[in-house]
Amino acid sequence: METRTSLYERYLDGTHRLGRAFTSCMLILLLGAPFVIGSYLGSLPNLGAAAKAFLSIGIVYLISCIVEYLIYVPMLGAGGSYLAFITGNLINMKIPCAMNARDIVGVKSGTPENEIVSTLSIATSSLVTILILAAGVVLIIPLQPVLQSPILQPAFDNVVPALFGAMACKYYRMNPRISFIVLAFMSLLFILVPSLIASTSMMIIPSGALAIFLAYLGFRKQQQS
Amino acid sequence: MDILTKLNSPFLYLICGSIILFAAVICVIFAVRAFKTGKEMGIDPGKMKRVITASATFAVLPSVGILLGVIALSGSLGTPWPWLRLSVIGALHYETQVAEAAAEAAGIGGLSISNMTAEAFSTIALLMSFCIMWGMVLVTFNGKAYSSRLMAPKTQTKSDKKGKLDLMAFGDPAMTAMFIGLVSAYIASYIGTIVSGNGLFTFTGSWIPLAVSAVAALAMAGFTWIREHRKAEWIDSFSIAGSMLIAMAAAVLFGRLG
Repeated sequence: METRTSLYERYLDGTHRLGRAFTSCMLILLLGAPFVIGSYLGSLPNLGAAAKAFLSIGIVYLISCIVEYLIYVPMLGAGGSYLAFITGNLINMKIPCAMNARDIVGVKSGTPENEIVSTLSIATSSLVTILILAAGVVLIIPLQPVLQSPILQPAFDNVVPALFGAMACKYYRMNPRISFIVLAFMSLLFILVPSLIASTSMMIIPSGALAIFLAYLGFRKQQQS
Repeated sequence: MDILTKLNSPFLYLICGSIILFAAVICVIFAVRAFKTGKEMGIDPGKMKRVITASATFAVLPSVGILLGVIALSGSLGTPWPWLRLSVIGALHYETQVAEAAAEAAGIGGLSISNMTAEAFSTIALLMSFCIMWGMVLVTFNGKAYSSRLMAPKTQTKSDKKGKLDLMAFGDPAMTAMFIGLVSAYIASYIGTIVSGNGLFTFTGSWIPLAVSAVAALAMAGFTWIREHRKAEWIDSFSIAGSMLIAMAAAVLFGRLG
């Protein structure tokens, strides 16, 4: 009978093989679609203009993608990473969703259980998004007045603060000291340099680095004592 | 035929719908493989079902937010392309920024249907795909090596055992810390907006995002209290979505006040 380790290794090999094949196909489809649509519309993309725009804003996302890759792959495991990078919406959905699932069933990062749980969590949340968006697109005309009603607008403008408030309660309880220091430092930074508010997604890098550094100091102290 | 009609044509729905369907098939294949392997490895199927339920409920509200992103972009890019972008690889905060930059570079001034041309649209579409594809590129070419390195057991020498730290044990605290950093960056930006959003120490910025976060945190604390004191573990599956819903309802109230 196959052992648990060899079963898991076989699963991981298959995941990488499938993941690479599917991701490559998706890359080709996503980069090919603008050319196919351009042919249909009667004008192909202007590569010079695209290069110019890439230099102005694309570089930021290139760095952001590299950082996301380095940070999130350890969190998500192999299967979860392929799915998360294909389906997107990492910060505002996939990462908190996978972390939430992981905490609910109590598995630790880097374990085979975490690999399975992350993959299930990201696949499920991606399918829910795909279904809701598909239903929304079908219903887009009758739904538009409700969803865009000025009364409901503040609710949908504040999905991200609502998400991070709930997550703050959950994670700040785990380490209040680090949470307080990082929040105070980042608040001071945003207060003194308000132009950084427009680049909050990039500010995750120093904020995360500070939190990890403080966690490392605590971890080292604990291990040495 | 005007440009918006062309951008909403059945041909574009077919192209974008097919790619989305492909993404859905990938998710199903990965989920089925993970569930089967989990069962074979002895993971409790009940636990895996809880993961599925919790993830499905968790995803509903953010998905409605993403749908609003589709609606917002559909006025200038038609419906099929934003539908594709936000179903596959895209992110709500990213799409508008890149589309705006591409529209400026394509010479139509900004993202607006009144100035949209076929060339501008195909350029915008290409740039939206190109700018954010690097995670996919990295995971394709380096994913196996990177994740294998992370999971490889370390062989310890005598000197390792003596003075060095067990860095593998740092994985969990590091992930929690990373999440504290992520959340703090956003909460701090709401504090910064209130104090200096309209100029240094003017205290006139919008208070609504911070108030919404505070309500969500309070609601979450309430759900946690119920779970811990009433031993209602099932509530975990709905606590995040429930907290968000309460906070979003509060946002409607705050919107009327502010």
